[in-house]
Amino acid sequence: MKLEAIPVVAVIAGEPPAGLSGNAPVLLREISARVCRLADAGETSAIDLLAMPLTASDLEWLREQLGTGEIVITLDADGESFLTETSFPGVWWVMHHNPKGGVLSAFIEIAPVPELAKAHKDDVRGGLERLQQLIFDLS
Amino acid sequence: MQGPLIESLARRGISRRNFSKYCATLASMMALPPLAGHAMEKALAATPAPSRRPSVIWLPFQECTGCTESITRSHSPTLESLIFESISLDYQETLMAAAGHQAEEALHAAMKANAGKYLVIVDGSIPLGLDGAYSCIGGRSNVDTLKEVAKDAAAIIAMGSCSAYGGLPKAHPNPTGAVAVSDIIKDKPIVNIPGCPPIPVVMTGVLAHFLTFGTLPELDQHGRPKSFYGETIHDRCYRRPFYDQGKFAKTFDDEGARNGWCLFELGCKGPVTYNSCATIKWNAGTSWPVESGHGCLGCSEPDFWDGGGFYRALSAPANPMQKISVALGAGAVVGLAAAAINRTKKSAAKTGHETTTLEDLEKSK
Repeated sequence: MKLEAIPVVAVIAGEPPAGLSGNAPVLLREISARVCRLADAGETSAIDLLAMPLTASDLEWLREQLGTGEIVITLDADGESFLTETSFPGVWWVMHHNPKGGVLSAFIEIAPVPELAKAHKDDVRGGLERLQQLIFDLS
Repeated sequence: MQGPLIESLARRGISRRNFSKYCATLASMMALPPLAGHAMEKALAATPAPSRRPSVIWLPFQECTGCTESITRSHSPTLESLIFESISLDYQETLMAAAGHQAEEALHAAMKANAGKYLVIVDGSIPLGLDGAYSCIGGRSNVDTLKEVAKDAAAIIAMGSCSAYGGLPKAHPNPTGAVAVSDIIKDKPIVNIPGCPPIPVVMTGVLAHFLTFGTLPELDQHGRPKSFYGETIHDRCYRRPFYDQGKFAKTFDDEGARNGWCLFELGCKGPVTYNSCATIKWNAGTSWPVESGHGCLGCSEPDFWDGGGFYRALSAPANPMQKISVALGAGAVVGLAAAAINRTKKSAAKTGHETTTLEDLEKSK
């Protein structure tokens, strides 16, 4: 039987558009596995985006695929940082900038809420003292 | 995370979140996983405030001052000031206010007061020719100064390719007899931080490690911190997919180059060079040589100046420095063939080239 007689046609997807390296879709699978661990065991994790062999187009594509959710947290700490919820709950896109606006680091954090957004218990205690002092001063 | 460091940071207006951000970034730069950033945050924040800051002495020898320039061109004041506020830089000729006899006194006072505990940073190679007369400071040869200051040092950090390997002065024919620090000092721990110049955060990362853990980071066989020099440029290059797909730029500014293809054929030494340029990049993460379209020079490897040529591909045989006895006839044939190849290359480059006029540049504004 000739090869041509087999009624199966292979469709070659073709080369990815210019600039894309083909590494970004792989990362989506990694994110999926981590979200699974978050859902099953409550395990939080993070992926260092700048440590991956991704081009700028890859990062754009990834950002597009992940989309935007309902929350954007802006952190002003020696340059701005943006913690954006993607369209997938529990998946956050975290970008750290220096005062000049350059990118310091970028992570995808898989957690109910990013670590940076939480208030540390020592800071809460310190704030409580100041609040009590304020109440005392006003009374 | 309790501890004086986190409190002293708060007093300087640096919040805990700011510190977390810094640690996350530093961990990313040291090619450590995000979890390590959390661990570093805990460790650094818990560092007790020392009653006396560790003393650091900076010795400049046969250098171009590029290494000093590199470290002072830090982009984030927090990252670098954290280090320079945690040490006592007791001698640094470019940055210190003192000069002449006062400067020399400062050096000897710091050495005496911190005997056995001070860190020495060396940049520049040390010439041994003419008994070291090729480079002297205050009438003393560099080699004598190095031996004297190294005697009571805790450790020596060789900053830059010149002090780590000999660098440019050591390139053929090495007229001054330049050598590396490790060629002279044999009885002290030496950390090599090569690069021409090295990336600034590598320097501060090593100091941060010493300040946090009191030890030097893990070193490779060339004495380089593995966290920054553990992988080749090639392994982290964003153009690696193009290398894997066999898409190479043939000349500068051809179509392949404009599409950002691999620069292997244009002499990139990425595959044999260990450094962090591909991840940390330069000038506040702006760019790095390959991203700007030029192949890696291999500046953090020994003898890169004599490596055979910045524009010769790694796969091409390259040892013009070795004495090879070749029959005159064979030599002539090779010469003619090379000339013919070069002519075709040149005409190909000419046809592949697009001239840019002033109007084009104005248009792109």
